[in-house]
Amino acid sequence: MNRWRMRLHRVLAGLVLGAWLAAPMPSHASVGGGVLDFDGDEIGRILQHGPWPPPPAVDPGNRWSAQPAAVALGRQLFFERRLSADGRMSCATCHVPARAFTDGRAKSQGRVLLDRNAPALWNAVHERWQGWDGATDSLWSQALRPLTDPREMGSNAAHVARVVREDAQLSCRWQAVFGGPPQADAEATLVQAAKAIGAFNASLVSGRTPFDNFRDALARGDRAAATRYPLAAQRGLRLFVGRGQCHLCHVGPMFSNGEFADIGVPFFVRPGVVDPGRHGGIRALQASPYNLLSPWSDGPDAAALKTRHVDLQHRNFGEFKVPSLRNVAKTAPYMHDGQLATLRDVLRHYSTLNLDRLHADGDAILQPLRLTAAETRDLLAFLRSLSAPDATRWQAGPLPGCRLSRAVGDLETR
Amino acid sequence: MTRAGLIAGFAAGLVLAVPAAAAPGDCGKALPAEGRQHLQGPGYTAVVVPSLWPIPVGRHFSLQVQVCAETGKVLPQTLRVDADMPAHRHGMNYRSTVKGLGEGAFLAEGLLFHMPGRWRLRLDLGQGAEVVRLEQALEVR
Repeated sequence: MNRWRMRLHRVLAGLVLGAWLAAPMPSHASVGGGVLDFDGDEIGRILQHGPWPPPPAVDPGNRWSAQPAAVALGRQLFFERRLSADGRMSCATCHVPARAFTDGRAKSQGRVLLDRNAPALWNAVHERWQGWDGATDSLWSQALRPLTDPREMGSNAAHVARVVREDAQLSCRWQAVFGGPPQADAEATLVQAAKAIGAFNASLVSGRTPFDNFRDALARGDRAAATRYPLAAQRGLRLFVGRGQCHLCHVGPMFSNGEFADIGVPFFVRPGVVDPGRHGGIRALQASPYNLLSPWSDGPDAAALKTRHVDLQHRNFGEFKVPSLRNVAKTAPYMHDGQLATLRDVLRHYSTLNLDRLHADGDAILQPLRLTAAETRDLLAFLRSLSAPDATRWQAGPLPGCRLSRAVGDLETR
Repeated sequence: MTRAGLIAGFAAGLVLAVPAAAAPGDCGKALPAEGRQHLQGPGYTAVVVPSLWPIPVGRHFSLQVQVCAETGKVLPQTLRVDADMPAHRHGMNYRSTVKGLGEGAFLAEGLLFHMPGRWRLRLDLGQGAEVVRLEQALEVR
């Protein structure tokens, strides 16, 4: 073969290979290799779970959210045990970075044993409501709850002001953000501390996962990249968006619709006491002096739309937040009170669901899944693929030192 | 013509001056085209346009509504907007608020569909004690 023909053959081979790589995933076609033959509907549902990360979000009603100086102050306050009345607890006591910002307990231990499991803080800024009952509509108003609850940190404005004044770095950072020292007897001091903590919490967005890489590979028709995602996880994903109908509530990039559901989990706290869940949460929200409709909110008005329109209904009793499944394999135990120790227990719950436990006027979506052992393994593989490598590796690196310049409000760092 | 005749004629003119019912094809012509939904009921047509189209799961949206009345019918004084998923036996977690803009135009705010699937949009047109319901199925993906 002469040189001209060899060159032509190489060019043609390259064109064919390029077209194969660039071709969109065919529907109903067996693609062979390491990718299941997802059909068009399945691919559409899979793509809805991305892209990740989503566009940046801010803590609503918090004018200091996304401000680096406020994030730095909030970070210091988050780990500051002296903020609690007895100096023994900080936010990080129940939201441990190495445990994906939970604490690994069924119910958290405050000054007394509490009634609920500590939610993970990763990506909380992308949640519509905070807490298992959605009693708060912003990260800052949520931070106020454990800060002032006598069962948890038991703090108050005077105590927070004293702690800040007596620490040179805290005081410096406080003044840099808020333009002056904290007022001892002012409710504003508590709100400011909470907004700084909210700003820090809003910065906690977890990284990409193996699922995200697979999802994006599907989106661009990159078969080579898609084959890196384990087949077991693909089979689990197929169950998730198919027969399992998990995607109806665990929606979108967050794998949660941000709302509430009754899935037949008992809500008795102890004999004679029930956890009202979302019903109690809406009542607390509407009565709160710190919700987004309050004067403490920095706006904009559009952020309060959800609070203005939320509707208290009988069926809310016993509903709890649909948690995000990002990093779910790192946040055991599960459910609002941690009553399910492992992910396998969660799947067993859905597999053997007792429909009599659901409210009579509850959602008619759930059916016992009757998962086989193989299906359980596949679903577990999929759920584990939703963990970001950084989920348990957040490090509190050294904060730059604070020094105020002559103009109040300017923050210099060494 | 007598004075009474003049008054009667003027009154008749006022009645006749009530805006004539828009032909179904004209109803809501001024509203945006994208996502436009037509709802039909006894004596009424409503055109509804969501602020987001396609309606996404898990995001608040509003509805511009134009109600048109057939000849002999009067435009509704009130409008209530709600939605549910009949197959799932649940409604929205939010109660919409509706603002009347006059001439059968309304703005409904605060809606949110928190699940993919088939939603049933319900418009209750109120005229005194009478309520006429218009419904439309919406597929949300």
